[in-house]
This record gives sequence, C-alpha cells and structure tokens, in this order.
Amino acid sequence: MTTDHASYLPVLLIVLMAIAFAVGNIVLSRLLGPRREGAVKATTYESGMDPIGGARKRFNVRFYVLAMIFLVFDVEIIFLYPWAVSFAHVDPRSPDGALFLGRVLFFLFTTVVAYIYAWRKGVFRFE
Amino acid sequence: MLEFLDEVVTGQLVVSVAVILVILHVNLVGVAYLILLERKLSAWIQDRIGPNRCGPVGLFQPIADGVKLLVKEDYKPKGADLALFSLAPMAIIIPALIGWVVIPWGGEWAMPEFTLPVLGTFGGQRVVVAGADVGIGVIFLLAVASLGVYGVTLGGWASNNKYSLFGGLRATAGMISYEIPMGASILAVLLLSGAVRPQTLIEQQVAGGWYVVAQPLAALLFFVCILAEANRAPFDNAEAEQELVGGYHTEYSSMRFGMFLLAEYAHLITSSAFLALLFLGGYHLPFVGWTSPAAVGLGPALVKVVVFFTKVFFIVSFMMLVRWTIPRVRWDQVMKLAWNALIPLGIALVVLTAALVYLEWTAWWQTLLMNAAVAAAVLAIQPLMPGPAEKNRRVPLAGSRFCPIAPEPVSAESEAPTTGGRPASRGLAGVS
Repeated sequence: MTTDHASYLPVLLIVLMAIAFAVGNIVLSRLLGPRREGAVKATTYESGMDPIGGARKRFNVRFYVLAMIFLVFDVEIIFLYPWAVSFAHVDPRSPDGALFLGRVLFFLFTTVVAYIYAWRKGVFRFE
Repeated sequence: MLEFLDEVVTGQLVVSVAVILVILHVNLVGVAYLILLERKLSAWIQDRIGPNRCGPVGLFQPIADGVKLLVKEDYKPKGADLALFSLAPMAIIIPALIGWVVIPWGGEWAMPEFTLPVLGTFGGQRVVVAGADVGIGVIFLLAVASLGVYGVTLGGWASNNKYSLFGGLRATAGMISYEIPMGASILAVLLLSGAVRPQTLIEQQVAGGWYVVAQPLAALLFFVCILAEANRAPFDNAEAEQELVGGYHTEYSSMRFGMFLLAEYAHLITSSAFLALLFLGGYHLPFVGWTSPAAVGLGPALVKVVVFFTKVFFIVSFMMLVRWTIPRVRWDQVMKLAWNALIPLGIALVVLTAALVYLEWTAWWQTLLMNAAVAAAVLAIQPLMPGPAEKNRRVPLAGSRFCPIAPEPVSAESEAPTTGGRPASRGLAGVS
C-alpha cells in the first residue's frame, strides 16, 4: 500500500485552523481585556499567603525515574503496533507465523524483566 | 499547475474540507454546551438548580461565559515565563482540536459526479465522510492524544506558582502513565483487526461483532485510561481543589484559562469518539440497514453521522456521571493503579490475544472467553498482591504524631511546654 500524501492535506488544514483559533483567542482577549498592573496583584496565588520563594525549585526525583520508565514502555508499545497490524495477515501455519510470535514474545519478555526489576527497586512506590 | 490540481483536488478532498468546516464548528459549540450540560448534571446530582439566569433554563450561559472570558484581563503573574505561559494553552488546545479529524463520522458515501467552474469535475467514486481518510488513523489519534501532556507540563512550570508546579507534575506523571495501558488495550484490538484505518476497523466490527463484546476487558481498560488522560475525576489530581487550588491553571485568567477549559471538553469528545470507533462499532447500529457500510447513499451517511454523535454524547454523559458520583482517588493510588495493575493487565491481554490469533481462535466468543479467564485470574491473584504500605494504614489518633495532646504529659505546673512561643498543647494544661 503506497502512502497517499494528498490524504494528509486536510490534516494540515485542521492544524492551521487550530493554531489560528488558539492564537486568535489570545490576541482577542488581549485586545478586549483591560490592563491594570499592580505589585500585589502580580503575586502568585498561594492560598492568600505571601509566597515563600519562587516555584523554580528542585522536585522529587521519582518524577524523573517515572519519565524514564515511561519512555521504555511507551517506545515498546509503539514498536508493537506494526507487528500487531501485520501479524493478523501472516499465515500462522507457515514458519513465519511462529517466528513472528516468538520474536515479539521474547521482546516482551525482556520488558517484563525490566518491569519486575523496576518494581523490586521501588520505582512504583508513590506514597 | 492545473494537472497538479487535478491530482490533488479530488472528491475526497472536497468532502474532507466540508466535513472539517462543519465538524470544527459543531465541536466548538458542542464543547461550550457540554460545559453547560456538566453544570446542569452536577446540579441535578447534588439537588441544586444549576445555571438558570441566561435565557430559558440557562441556555445562553455558554455564550455569556465566552464573552466574559474574552473581556477579562489577560493577566500574567510576577516571575512567570511569558513565552511558555502563552504557549501552554495553545499547546493544550491544538491537539484537542485536531484529533477527531480522522474519525469516519459518516462512513463511505458514493459521491455523485459534479462539476465546479474552476476546479473541474469530481466525484463518481466512493469517499469517506471524515475530516481526513488517513491510512494510519488510529496511530494518528493516539499520537495526537498524547501531545496534550505538553500543555499541562508547560502551564504548571511557567506559572511560577508552587501549586501549579505540583499540579502540573502530578498531571504529567498521571497522563504519561495511563498512556501505556491505553496503547496496550488498542493493541489488543489491532491484533484482531489487522488494520489501523478507522473505516476498516468499523467494517470489521460490523462483520465480526463489536470489539466491546470480543474484548470487554480492553474496552474497560481503554475507558479508564481516557478518563485519566483527560484528567477527569476520579483521576483529576491535577486540580484537586482541596490541595492544589486549581492545579496547573491556577494562575491563568481570561481566554487562556478558557482554552484550558475548552481543551478539556474537546479532548472528552475526541476520546469518546475514539472509544466509539474502537469498541462500539463507530456509526454502526445492529439491525439497522442504513448504518451498515453497505449503505452508501447520502441519507445513510447523514444517519451514520447522527448515530456516531449520539454514541459520543452518551459516552461523554457517562463520564460526567462518573465524575459526580465517584470521589477523587488519592494520587499515589492513581499511580499504583496504572503501574501495578493496568499495565500488567494490558500486556497480559496483548500476549493472550496474540496467542489466540496464532491459533486462529479469533471468533468473538473465543476472545470473550479469554477475557473472562483473565478477569477470573485477576480476581484470584488479587489477594496475593502486596498490600498498601505501612504508612497508609489507619493509625489511631491518640498516641500518634498527629495527636494534639502530648503522649506523655509532663507535670503541668513546673514547665509550660512551649515551642517557639506557642503552647504545644491546645490549651489543656499549658496556657495560664
């Protein structure tokens, strides 16, 4: 099946329309709304308290670990998409069928090992 | 030049542009009225009246809200990163508005031939009544749906507000975590269908039964994941009012805030359409001839659009009922649900479905039996799983570190126990 690039033209159109909608809204509200500055008004809202320090702080390392683990799993799932689509068309009785399944099962197995390792290391403890 | 135009401007393109122009507006108006519907539903559930001042039964409320948001001050807090602060609402609304473009609302339509003065003659072939008939529609939807996470992250970071930062972080972690089981549940369907073109997916569901019957567990998984992806209750920890004020949009006002709001509901429409497409047969209704892919006239196409939108409406309403019925889940429980329950479940479903495809046991009742077996196995394994951590067990107040009364009261007369000038106990013995 060849890729029909012309079928992506409407996608381009809707992307442009969405960008125009987003930018237009910001411009419109800037034009229509009042602009009154104030020192107290510009403080961030933190339950009515005077903010203590800024928000550019270090935060918990578990978010970074989580993002890395997410990358591993998400890329793995994306790799499985072409396989899943073509697997339905492969004749399972042919040698290709078993090969197709076996390779992906091994691929999944490595990820499961990584998953168990991450669990044992306490990556999924959020309390 | 003209030959090039002939090749590009086909009947499909004309239909696509028409569908985009109509559905974008239906979508935007629909989003505004979904907000009213949600307010009315919540009012009904909580035994209130809800908005009823603007027009009959509050029907003009969305218009009033929109005008109000436009004329409010577009305000930026001190220390905010202006570029990112403006980019965040755009980054969240653009993906929310483009995802639905590949959904085949009306199925195939045998377009009659007609001639336009400049562009020439089109039609005479079958076109798909969709924004774009893209061969990789499902992957496009999945990719666009996961782009929404950028807006949340940027909004949380750029506001220079600690509540926003925490809300943004929580939302980002939740959204990326639920993307994995979502991808796995889609895989379970794609293994059966062997196609990623939305129109083909629906045709296969018409032929072999809706995938919600064949893969009910995957459908449930997908529904939970789209709730979490859209940051809806019970997974809306990003904006847990009691802890984080408004979460990542605390500092936003005017139309920038409005875009966060619009994006949430636009995302709801897109993901509900995605659910209807993958599991609920899209535009198809059983025993109604006009909604089968064999009917390609103009009337059937319009009926299909109506059927599709009705399904989307019911799914969105169900999500709203869920929001106002189920209390919010604690954040660590949300993350645990994703990583310790849904992801293993999703991978197990993919592996078992692959095995069934290999054995050529792909009738709907065979995969249904597999799903039932998996559900039974989950119920059997569940008591063996490690329980919640010690910290989150219920601790009696008396004697704990949260108890206002000191565990061992020192003799009250000799020394009033003060810490930093304030009495440590709440005026039982210490205060004179």
